[in-house]
Parts: sequence; structure tokens; C-alpha cells
Amino acid sequence: MGKVVEGHSMNLMSKWGITTPRYVVSNSLEEFDTMSEKHPWLEDSRLVVKAHETIGGRGLLGLVKMCTDLNSTRDAIEDILSYDRDSITINQVIVEENVPHSRKREFYASVISRREGVELLLSPKGGVNVEKNWNSVRSLKISTGAAIDTRALEEFVGQAGFDYRFRSLLGEFLQRLLTMFDGEDATYLEINPFTILRGCKKVVALDAVLDLDESARFRHPDWKFGFSSGFGRSMSHAERSIQEIDEQVKGSVKFIELDGDTALLPAGGGASVFLADAVVRAGGTLANYAEYSGDPPDWAVAALTERVCAIKGIKRIIIGGAIANFTDVKKTFAGIIQGLRKVRSCGQLNESVSIWVRRGGPNEVEALREMGKIKDEGFRIQVFDRKTALTDIVDMAFAEEVV
Amino acid sequence: MSILTHKDDQVLIQGGPAGVNAARCMAEFRYLIGEPVNVPAFVYPPDAGKTVEVPYGTQYVSTPVYGTVTEAVKMHPEINTSLVYVGADRAGDAAVDALDAPNIRLVSMITESLPEKDARLLLKKARDTGKIFNGPSSIGILSGGESRLGVVGGNYENLVLGELYKSGSFGIVTKSGGMLNEIMWIVSMHGDGVSTAVGLGGDSFPGMTFVDCLELFEKDQGTHAVIMVGETGGTLEEEAACWYASEPRRIKIIGMVSGFCQEVLPKGMKFGHAGAKAGPKGEGAAEDKRKAFEHAGFLVPESFNEMGRMIADIHKDLINSGKVKVKKRRSAEKVRPLPKTVGQAVSDGDVLAEHMITSTICDERGEEPLYSGYPASELAAKGYQMEHVVGLLWLGRLLTSQEAAVVRRILILTADHGPCVSGALTTIIASSAGIPLAQSVAAGLLMIGPRFGGAVTDASKYFKYGVDENMEVEEFLAHMKEHVGPVPGIGHRVKSLSNPDKRVQSLLECVREQGFPTPVLDFALAVEKRTTRKKENLILNVDGAMGAVLTDMGFPPEALNGFFVLARTIGFTGHWLDQKRQGSRLIRMFKWLVRYATPGRRTVPPLESL
Repeated sequence: MGKVVEGHSMNLMSKWGITTPRYVVSNSLEEFDTMSEKHPWLEDSRLVVKAHETIGGRGLLGLVKMCTDLNSTRDAIEDILSYDRDSITINQVIVEENVPHSRKREFYASVISRREGVELLLSPKGGVNVEKNWNSVRSLKISTGAAIDTRALEEFVGQAGFDYRFRSLLGEFLQRLLTMFDGEDATYLEINPFTILRGCKKVVALDAVLDLDESARFRHPDWKFGFSSGFGRSMSHAERSIQEIDEQVKGSVKFIELDGDTALLPAGGGASVFLADAVVRAGGTLANYAEYSGDPPDWAVAALTERVCAIKGIKRIIIGGAIANFTDVKKTFAGIIQGLRKVRSCGQLNESVSIWVRRGGPNEVEALREMGKIKDEGFRIQVFDRKTALTDIVDMAFAEEVV
Repeated sequence: MSILTHKDDQVLIQGGPAGVNAARCMAEFRYLIGEPVNVPAFVYPPDAGKTVEVPYGTQYVSTPVYGTVTEAVKMHPEINTSLVYVGADRAGDAAVDALDAPNIRLVSMITESLPEKDARLLLKKARDTGKIFNGPSSIGILSGGESRLGVVGGNYENLVLGELYKSGSFGIVTKSGGMLNEIMWIVSMHGDGVSTAVGLGGDSFPGMTFVDCLELFEKDQGTHAVIMVGETGGTLEEEAACWYASEPRRIKIIGMVSGFCQEVLPKGMKFGHAGAKAGPKGEGAAEDKRKAFEHAGFLVPESFNEMGRMIADIHKDLINSGKVKVKKRRSAEKVRPLPKTVGQAVSDGDVLAEHMITSTICDERGEEPLYSGYPASELAAKGYQMEHVVGLLWLGRLLTSQEAAVVRRILILTADHGPCVSGALTTIIASSAGIPLAQSVAAGLLMIGPRFGGAVTDASKYFKYGVDENMEVEEFLAHMKEHVGPVPGIGHRVKSLSNPDKRVQSLLECVREQGFPTPVLDFALAVEKRTTRKKENLILNVDGAMGAVLTDMGFPPEALNGFFVLARTIGFTGHWLDQKRQGSRLIRMFKWLVRYATPGRRTVPPLESL
């Protein structure tokens, strides 16, 4: 799954025949001023300014602002771009045409990927308070492979509580949503709110959240955008550099910066979460999330190691992993050792940082021996083989602190 | 006993290199348990019609590759299982093909990053056909002592350490492939072994659920307990808890789930596997799953250590109640060792291999080649030149600076001698005919012989003979006249005393400057002095001069033509490039340059008249 920012979501909706407001995307006030000269409708229309990030509940966070003229629009842009709270930073805004509509005509629809097919949700009470009115949301389950029946959709619209005169219009709208969902390999599509224009008999999607399946990129050459980090902030330089390596190599390397005293360098997606759980249970705080798996090349593991071990203020590093199926432990450990040495040569990883290692798998005996040898180079390192339980090194790392 | 995969299963593998690797892993397991290979065929369109040689003990098993599942199962109707080891863009179609095959009842897919839509379609197809789809992202399935599907279980050492060659009482089902291997190890340490271990895969919509596996384990009388490891995200764990609590169950379940740390991570962050993400309103959180497990009556360990103790306790209870026998750990020596390849055995020091080649000049086994022991990059860093490399690889020693200067002079003086000489001409003709560089230059080099560039060795040989035998010049010339003929290295078609060869002059000048002793060269010059009294053009030529001085430096006579070969490689390469630059047309002999001394047209007589 990958979150798509609003501008790209609106482009895709237009592609599938769903009407959206006109919009521009800007990274700064100066850029917006330049665009407003090119797009006269920006001066002639009432506008709404939103943070252009995949953050849930932007309205409640004050990241959606209604504007009456160009000056208040410029003020709103400045306010949103300077937002800095709850570890949320905004680097981009989207300025949309504020389609006139009544609050009573803010409706909710979403499509969710499920094991047996997709679930369609619909409610006449949408907008910022949709969750307060969740009991008004109706659900329609559509099985995998089932043909989408317009009449069934129209009945569903009626069951959801919409007026009879909107059934055909909304039936068609939902049909387009479902077709888009399937055609674009979406995993989540939420239109909140959408409205029906007075007299024009047209449905307009005013705001949307769209998650696409990154795994399906191979059949979507028109997906020329990247996916958002998905948790409320842009990627840091370090995170992006590891992601670039991840895209190049066989296997996988992952890195996300957090703020804590314990660094994690785990092998495998499953073990990484158990080790993170163990750190939290022991009372530590996570300095990062990381993972390597699928037998990546040693230079990629070395690069990941450098990022993890260079984090400022860490007290301990957990280098753990389960018994590997086919990842060559000796090779990946060679990458880790290389990364450790490089970080140390830059003046970090002194005696105040302890390192805890546990692993098994192909070539484990030589790998663990080589890892243990670097103690002689001044690393404060403890190395354990498969006979030590997976998360014991975390318990030991924290037990040592008490002494 | 086992669920899902058994000793008699015959497995099709859909995939190229990754599929072949899976077959090797499965063959190792079959070797360990003393059963024949159970992979009768592959499907991989790019290699259709070929065979794959799968190592099995000390032998190879030839396994055919087909272009389609239909063809494969037609030729091998015994196939009842298929593994999908192709990329995410083709895996969906591959699995559909396998599910369509009448006799295939189980399809297991290791492919990661399969689109969710494809996964949903496969789930539907499996439901509609009443078959089992395992995966995507499944590491595989392993039944102890019976069957291994795919790469699950690690390398051979791990199979032995974990005693996976025999069946046990504990079933295992996990989402994570890495954790499956880990739990198998824990079961081996603390229990009596694995009945079946199943990897579901960590995707959002796995083909098999925990409940699917638990129902099978409940029916399998050989499985007495199941270790189940779940993750944050989705509801499969909660469904398993409901299943267990809905009626009394025979099997015990040890249930563990990861993802508690999600509370301290940014909301919506995906980590671990594709399905391991809490919903926007917290659905599928680890804490809720843990509570569901406890409420359902699962044993819920706080750590892997505690899990090990729980397994040991269950195993003890099983022994006390007579359901299983006391475990007898087989000595590692009695387990069939996997035969090593010859290469492995040699590098492990198990055997002394009779060598085929001995090299004294170059050792490339380290970070870089050593030329007679000297690292190539260190030679370069310290200013050594190509002539020193010649000394190291041809003589096995470092040349003195004086010797190096002479070698360098020789190479410069003999690099080329125009397009008309036979070697250059040959290269040019080949070049104009479109022959590639290496072949054209080689053609030119083939012309080096007794009459073109090949006299250096002969000159060296005979002058050296004269010196070694301590001959006087007159005696040497008489000997040559009687036994050999003209002296190699003496005489030139054009050059003479009054028209000296400047190349020879330059070489002799260089040698005099270096000042090292040159007995062979001195002898050759003495011979020249005598022969030019007879005829002015019987001078020491460049071959003779080279041969003599190189012999004085210690190069063996048989090496000396190599200098001409080396130097002229530069010239011939230059001629090839020159013709290429000019786009030369094919060269053909002009008829007027040929004297056709042949009979005129004659009538052919009838054959029978002969």
C-alpha cells in the first residue's frame, strides 16, 4: 500500500470520470503568486487551502482553511507552511476551488479492500464530523469477481438514506468509484466529503484519501508519482538514501528515524517487530526502525548499518535476527562489520555504546566468530548464537544498564 | 503425522533460477530422509525444452522444463502440488494455471509484492475449485521427516541441527518466514520435533488463514500442540481465537503476536510485512490480539524463552500420558552427511587434490594479482613500468634499471616497420575485410616466423652457442657454414656498412650507455666485423642485435621472439585502427601482378578413354 497525495488522487479521479475541484499545488508563497498570474480562476474563485500531505484529519488539525479572497489565501498558505506541531511538518500546499455547497450536502463514501472482495461504505452525513455519525454509514460488500450492478448500487443509495432523486446520479458515481478502485489497484479510497451541485445534477468529490498498491506499479506506467511516507512527515535524507538502495538491490533494506536511546538493526521483517517489542517492554525507546531481509548485498547492509549506528545519543544497538532460511549470515555480517568500522572511524561508537548480536543461519559459525573478533578493535560488543533466545539480547542489554 | 504436504507428494516448480534453487533445497531434504527427489518437472517458458540437473547426493537428476503447466501435468500426471517461484508480475497467472490443473490440490507461492487484487482473485479461485492456495509471500511448508516445499528450513546444516529429518508432535504456523525457521529451532531444542510447519506469508490477504491450518492440525492425530505466531494487522488472529474457544479442542495452542511497539510509532506506519499495519482506528492492534488469545485459552508466552519452557512442559505431559515416546536424539554422525562437491572438499582441506597446472609467475587468489609475488597495484604505485612486468612474468625477477632501459628501447624500436612487411600487410588485408581487431592482429602475428621477425631466437641461440663454446670468430663461421647455413641475425636486404640500420645503432648506443657486461653482443659484433669484410650488407641486423643483448640479460632464447610479438602487437593494432578510421575497402590482388603461367584452355577427354 502507498498513500497518494491529494493532487495525484484528483488527477486519477478525473481520469475515471469523477469530477473534482480545480486546483494548484505549491511549495511556497512565491510559487503560488506566480501561478495565480497564470490561472485567473484563482483570483475569481473562493478558495480552500489544504496541507498537501497524507495526514488524516487535516480539518481538525487546522490544516484546511477557507478563504474569501486572494489575500486571505496567501495568509492561509503562509500559516500552513509554517505549521510545526506534533512532529508534523508541511512542505507543500494544495489550493483548490472552493465549490459552493451546503454543509447539509457533505456526503461520505469509501471503498476498502477486503479478503473476499471490496467493501463500499456510504453515508449522507459526511465532512469533518463523519466519525461522530458513524452509525449512519451503510456497508455493501462486493465479492471478488462479481459484476457491479448499477441497480443494486441505486438500491444501496436508497438504503443509506439518500433522497430518491439522487439515486441514479449517485449510483453512477459509485459505479465510477468501484471501477477506478479496481482499475487503479487501489487498496483504500475515501471521498469525504463529496457534494451534489444545486441544479447542475453533478457529483463533485471535494476531498479524497487514496491508497494504491505499490506492488502493482508494473502495470501502471502512468503512475509517475512517488508514494508518501504515510505517517505525517516527509522522508528525511537518511531515510530516502536507504529507500534508494532498497529500490536497486535484491532483497530489502529499510530505515526510519525515530527518537530514542536504542538503535535496532534486525534481520527479517518478523524478527524486527519482536525485537522492537522487546525494547519497548524493557522500558527503552526506539531510535529507529530498520530491517534487512531477502539476502541483500553486503554493501547495502553496510550502508544501512552506517545510518543506524550514526544516530546521535544512542546507548545500545541491537543486531538481532532469527535463524535465517537462505540469507548468508557471513556475508551480511561482513557488511555490518564494515559499517560499524566506518562509523567508529568518524568518532562515534565509543565505549559508551553497547552492541548486542544474536543470529543463526547459513555460515553462522564463521559469521559469529568474525563479529566477535571486532571486540579486540575496541567495540563494546557481545555476540550470541542460536542457542540464545531471539530477544534475550534485549533483556541483557537493559539488565547491564542497571548495574 | 503431517498436514498439507507428505512423503509421497510430487511437486511441480514454476520458475527459473529461483525455482531451481528451491528444487536443490528440496532434493537435499529428500536425500537427508533417504527418499528420491520428488520434483519431476519445472515450468519456465524461457527454458522450455531444456533439462535442469538437480544435485542429489553424489548424483544429478535430470529434470525437464516445460513451457506450460498443462504440458507438464500431461507428461507427469503424478504431480499433485505446485510451487510458484516467478516474479510478482507473472505470479498471479502462474498460480491460476496451477489451480486449473485437475490433479494439483495445493499451490504454494513464495513471491512477495503480489498485488492485492491478484491475491483476492487467487483466493476466490482456490475457494471455487476446492483447492488450497498458500501464500503469497509464503516461505513454504515443511513436514518433519516427510516433505519440504521450497526453501523453508534453511541449509542442510540447519535441517540436521533442527532434526527436521524426523516427525514430531508440534505443528507451527506463522506469518513470517524468518520466524517459522526460528520456531522450528525452538521446537527442536525443547520438544520432540515438528509435525508440519506452515508459512502463511505476511501479506494483507493470505490464501490460508490460521483457522485453515488449525482445523487441519486438529484432525491430524500426530499433532498435539501448535505454536502460532501472528502480527499486528488484520483479524486472522482473532478469528483463530474464536475458533479455538467455540468448542473443546484436542490440540493445545501456544499463541504469540508481535507489534506492541506500534503504540510508540508514528500512526499509520507500515513495518515488517505488508499486512502488519494497524487500521486507521486501531483495528488489529497487538494488545487486542493478545487478549483474544488469553481469553480463548491459548498459552501466551511473554518471551521466546518462556515459549521454550511451555513446549518442554507440553512435551513432558505428552510423554507422561503415553501419547509420545521419550525423544532419542540421534547422533549427528549417524545422520547422512550431504556429500561435498570436490571444490568444497578441497577448500575444507578434506582431500589433497592432484593439481593440473603449476604457476610460478602469477597468483590471483588475493585482492589482486601478484606478479612473481609483487602486487600489481603496488608495482604501479612505485613507478614500475611495463618492461618490469615483462621481466617478472618472463624471467621471474625484477629487472635492473639498466636492463629495463634496454627492454624499453627494444620495444620502441620494433613496434612497427610500415604497412608493406608481411605481418602488417596481413593485418591490413584482414581489417579491410571487416575482420575484428583481435583476429586481424592475430593473423598478422601468425606471419612471424623464420623470415619475418622470428630470427631473434635463432640469432640468440647460435651466438650464445659460440660464446658458450669459447669459439673464435673464424671457427664459429666455419661451424655455421658446415652445419647451419647463413648466420641468423646477420645480413639485411637494404642496410649495409655505408647505409647503417638506425634501429641497430640506437639499440647499441642505449646498451653502451647502461654499461653492463654484454659478452654475447660483443661476440656478435666481432662476427659482424668479419662478415662485412666479405660483403658490405652482411651487418648485424636488428634481430641479431636484440637476440644478443637480451641473451646477455638472461632471457632464454625461446623467449626472444616474444619481444617482437609484443612490440608488433602495438604496430598491427595501429594498422587495424588506421584502416578502420579510413573505412578501407576490401583489398584484392590486381590481376596484372600475377603471372598466369598456366596451360591454355584444353578439351576434357571422356573419362572412359583413360
